[in-house]
Amino acid sequence: MILEPVKKKRPVEDDSFVGVRVGVLLLVAFFLFGVLAFRLWYLQILSGDSYTAEAMVNRERQVVVEAPRGVIYDRNGEVLVDNRAGLTVSLLPMDMPDPKEEPQKFYEEMVALAELLDVPLADLLDDYERAKNDPWVTRAVAEDVPEETVVAHLKENSEEFPGVMVEKTYLREYPNRALAAHVLGYVNEISGEDLDKEEFTGLKAGVHIGKDGVERVYDSYLRGTDGSKKVQVNAAGKPIETTADIPAEPGYNLVLTIDAKLQKSAEEAIQEGIRRAHGDGYTSAAGGAVVALDPRNGEILAMASYPNYDPSLWVGGMDPRIYRELNEPEANSPLVNRALNGLYPAGSTFKPFVASVALQAGVVTPDTIIDCGGTHKFGAQTWKDWTYPHGHGSMNLLSAIAQSCDVYFYRLGEMLYYEKGAVLQDGLRGFGFGQPTDVDLPGETQGSRVPDKDWKRKTGKTSGDQIWKTGDEINLAIGQGDLLVTPLQLAVALSAIANDSPLHSATVWVPHVALQITDSSGRIIRQFKPESRSGLEIDSEYLSKVRRGMRYVTTGNELGTAVDAFWGFPVAVAGKTGTAEKKPDDDYALFIGYAPADGNSEPEIVVVAIIEEGGHGSAVAAPVVRYVMETYFDQEHAYMNIRTSE
Amino acid sequence: MNQTTPSVLQVARERRQPLGFSVGAYLRGMDWILLAATLALVTYGFFMLYSATHLSFPDNPFYYVRSQAIGLIIGLVFLISLSVANYKWFARWQMYIYGGGIILLILTLVVGTGGEDVGANRWLEYGSFRLQTAELVKFMLILAFGAVLTEGVELRGRFRFIVMCVIYMLIPGILIYLQPDLGTALVLAAVLVVMLVVWGIRLPHLGMVAGAALAAAVLALRVLPTVFGTSLLKDYQIRRLTLFLDPEKEPLHGGYQLIQSKIAVGSGMFSGKGYLQGAQHNLHFVPERHTDFIFAVIGEELGFLGGALLIGLFAIVVWRAFRIARMSRDIYGTLIAAGVAAVLVFQVFLNIGMTIGIMPVTGLPLPFISFGSSSLVVFLMAVGLLESIHVHSVAGEAK
Repeated sequence: MILEPVKKKRPVEDDSFVGVRVGVLLLVAFFLFGVLAFRLWYLQILSGDSYTAEAMVNRERQVVVEAPRGVIYDRNGEVLVDNRAGLTVSLLPMDMPDPKEEPQKFYEEMVALAELLDVPLADLLDDYERAKNDPWVTRAVAEDVPEETVVAHLKENSEEFPGVMVEKTYLREYPNRALAAHVLGYVNEISGEDLDKEEFTGLKAGVHIGKDGVERVYDSYLRGTDGSKKVQVNAAGKPIETTADIPAEPGYNLVLTIDAKLQKSAEEAIQEGIRRAHGDGYTSAAGGAVVALDPRNGEILAMASYPNYDPSLWVGGMDPRIYRELNEPEANSPLVNRALNGLYPAGSTFKPFVASVALQAGVVTPDTIIDCGGTHKFGAQTWKDWTYPHGHGSMNLLSAIAQSCDVYFYRLGEMLYYEKGAVLQDGLRGFGFGQPTDVDLPGETQGSRVPDKDWKRKTGKTSGDQIWKTGDEINLAIGQGDLLVTPLQLAVALSAIANDSPLHSATVWVPHVALQITDSSGRIIRQFKPESRSGLEIDSEYLSKVRRGMRYVTTGNELGTAVDAFWGFPVAVAGKTGTAEKKPDDDYALFIGYAPADGNSEPEIVVVAIIEEGGHGSAVAAPVVRYVMETYFDQEHAYMNIRTSE
Repeated sequence: MNQTTPSVLQVARERRQPLGFSVGAYLRGMDWILLAATLALVTYGFFMLYSATHLSFPDNPFYYVRSQAIGLIIGLVFLISLSVANYKWFARWQMYIYGGGIILLILTLVVGTGGEDVGANRWLEYGSFRLQTAELVKFMLILAFGAVLTEGVELRGRFRFIVMCVIYMLIPGILIYLQPDLGTALVLAAVLVVMLVVWGIRLPHLGMVAGAALAAAVLALRVLPTVFGTSLLKDYQIRRLTLFLDPEKEPLHGGYQLIQSKIAVGSGMFSGKGYLQGAQHNLHFVPERHTDFIFAVIGEELGFLGGALLIGLFAIVVWRAFRIARMSRDIYGTLIAAGVAAVLVFQVFLNIGMTIGIMPVTGLPLPFISFGSSSLVVFLMAVGLLESIHVHSVAGEAK
């Protein structure tokens, strides 16, 4: 047999220890296997729980289900802002090629995507950089992409676009386009600054929030709660099945006090007023505002500001070029809501309030006669009446308001100056001038003012400028000088005059645009009640005189300044014209009015109109108010029709 | 040469006896425990292969299993043939085996293909026949190197002989490394050391070999890149080798496999999620789950019990291999049995070790289990070889 020669005696060298060496190697082998077993025990028994948890995380993706924002209605249930389904393109970095490992593949994909979405490549790369921090979460790069072209292309060529997802989202829709844009505001992606605010705790980057108007103020109601879906996915990220589903809770709906029909008419009226101003030779007229308020409760029925903007520009992301254009001086500040941010001298529309304060202070009675010779002299200064050199003759309170006699009010200013304390200013502040109205809209100006001694002392540049002089009070008495008011303040103040009656005293309302918050089934979640503020202390008997004076503005009794404008209007209107000087601009045309003003029925509507650089209040602003009132009282737009037929 | 005790090779050269025993002696001489453990491993492997791949082609869940079954049949034929044959024949053909192995490796480098690994040359293809040459050459080298050592029994004290041995293994080692197949090159190094130890290398010599290897490694990894700006290891190879220390560093790319396979194994816990129930691998989170990372499937579905059972079966095979090395009537049998054992231990340790995150990713298949016919056939051949040694030593003892 082959082994025989070595069977008897192996060579010395390999006999003695070979068995030992093999044995040692066997032990080494068993030791290595032991290491494996120990490690396995450690992985599976000692830390198995945490790996099990990781395995769950691994194959379960939490997908956010976006909650649709609440719908916004006008007071009659007409939809002002709705939602529509849109498609968003987003990146999921974990499924994309790594720019370091496969730069060519990565950049080819990005270049193709940038071209397809028509966005700058740099923006797309920025988005990718930010998205990379959270590679398991999608990041939107383009919203509201067209389905037929972009999405279809992405789906057909999905091989070329790994990690590019198309998701369904809700987008805001504005059935009436720009109607009430300033009241509604717009929706946009949350900014980094907003993310830090307490109001938005719990929100993640990329979420959409209201940015202006009621979208902003009532964002917490409108926003809703995003739901989530747990989806089991395979390693390619393809969903296999849904394991848990927390439905999104849609946001609450918001019902506004705005009347869409009246709003539309208010917006038309401004443009009509501007056209009128142009016809009168005031060619610089380009902006204006109208506020319509219910004097019984402070509900804002219409709030128009011109020029305006289309809130749907923000849907799918605002184009920076368009945004820049909107902010150019030529655009005339379309983003500003002039009703609460426009600061104007009140001009003669201020006279009813000054008259109220003067009556209450007792410097005149309704029957006090002041003679108007066309000028008022005080010290070395002379103030002219608007009828200069003619003058109005003998004026009492009613005729002074009706004919807007400046001299009468110069006198009042002079008399009030010598009263103890800031009687005129305090009285005017009682109407709400000089302070925000606290309307439930964002960004109301803090800059309105009723100038007084303190204000002059603080702001005067020279020592002479720091003294409150008689002349300052005289200017204030006709709504000029350093006075600044907003159209909304005028509407609130006029409401107080209008809502005073023997049954309840004059009320200064905190105006509001929100009427109700309702849920999707129509249940009322919150009802907004009228809120008033105190501080107006004018006796009813005086206010009724002022109302009478304002009534005469539109009737023939006292040669009122707006008789022409309201000729033939079947509902009794009381009001006041104003032609405010704001050098170096052309005069601003104003009109404030309320109706019905027959003295028997309760006034239902207050309308304030201003046309910037529109010229005369009687010729330009009063027809604007009439136009709005015609809509409110279901009248034909007779006045405008006559005018356009000329 | 010693006149009174002619070496195995001399004897083998003199006598040509194809079968020196009866069928009964053959059956008595078989190591049934080794065979049973081997078949248990192969069966285990088929079940796990099915689990890992049955979702890959929904209309043909047995695609991979069927392909592997062909390898099994070929492998079993080789196992039986080799167990019947006299292993000492291989010693006589040392030069041819070695030369053939080198030619195969060169051919692979020149005309080989890399399959899914672009730029690699690992397979020789001829029609639908595909051979992963390094797998086969690994065993050819054990046979050839065993013969060299057997012939050099008298030269144990001579360091020059040791140097020659190292060069002898270094040449195919470099050819394999160039494929590139770093894993198999490392297996060859392990085979070299283990066979030298069993052969009886003097300790100082062993120390010098180890020192030289260390110096070479330092040279390759540190000096060359800094001094000459070239590296023997490609960047991705170095990254792959060190990534297991901190796979979270590259969670999406290189580290992904490691993280996912660890999660798969870890989430198996004590008794696993159940056969065919492994979500991690069914949902394709673990790449190469049917080849190099098949242990992740075992760990996930069968838990610690399944993993321990597998390691236990390997331990039995290795134990039997070393036992056969001790039993062998001649040093050649001892050496090649130890060589086979070294390949098994090293490859099992590297493969499972990489799946559970204690060893670098080297791309070695798990013997008997991983998908791949070349590997399966060759390991079954190795078992046949072990059986041959066993049969002959038992038969020899009986006489």
